Amino acid sequence: MTGLGYTVPAAASVAVVCGTELAVLRTGLFRRPAYWVAIAIVLAFQIPVDGWLTKLSAPIVLYHRAAMTGLRFPWDIPVEDFLYGFALVTAALLLWERQKGQAR
Amino acid sequence: MDHYQYLILMAACLVATLPLEALGARVYRQPVRLARAVLPVALIFLIWDALAIAGHVWSYNPRYVTGVNLPFRIPVEELVFFLVIPVCGILTYAGVQAVSRRWTRARP
Repeated sequence: MTGLGYTVPAAASVAVVCGTELAVLRTGLFRRPAYWVAIAIVLAFQIPVDGWLTKLSAPIVLYHRAAMTGLRFPWDIPVEDFLYGFALVTAALLLWERQKGQAR
Repeated sequence: MDHYQYLILMAACLVATLPLEALGARVYRQPVRLARAVLPVALIFLIWDALAIAGHVWSYNPRYVTGVNLPFRIPVEELVFFLVIPVCGILTYAGVQAVSRRWTRARP
């Protein structure tokens, strides 16, 4: 277990996304209750969707053992996936929020 | 049908979140804003995907993907994933906002 392949980039992606908001974009997204409600809903739906993608009985995505912590919860979802999903969705929400007012 | 499993899962995500637009999320009705939110993020995650695939961090079960690949051996399903999941996230956020606006308005 080196953690270099997935664990470290997954954690770094969260740091980069949060840092970009706090230092550059400053959309105020993290102060909006709707954001945290949405993130909770997204995480809840990530479990069945990601659970299907990663289930060890018939996996769609296969991970290299050495690239990650090996912690899988719930079901067979690598815990790193939750950092990855948070960074992916939050990044898109930040860009969505930044364009508020100039919308078409 | 097995080869379409990944794509069917993505289609299910789109179908499941579609009612949020009817609820007043107004996401698909702002296609330019949506594209400007989703496409730059998708590009970054595609680059990450290419690096992870090249570095054997993860791979895809040939049984459950179509076998259609983009450059750098990225399955087309991954591009679909990077478009669909952020759209679902934005729909959820905008849906929550739409519902809370309704509640605020309904209050005397």
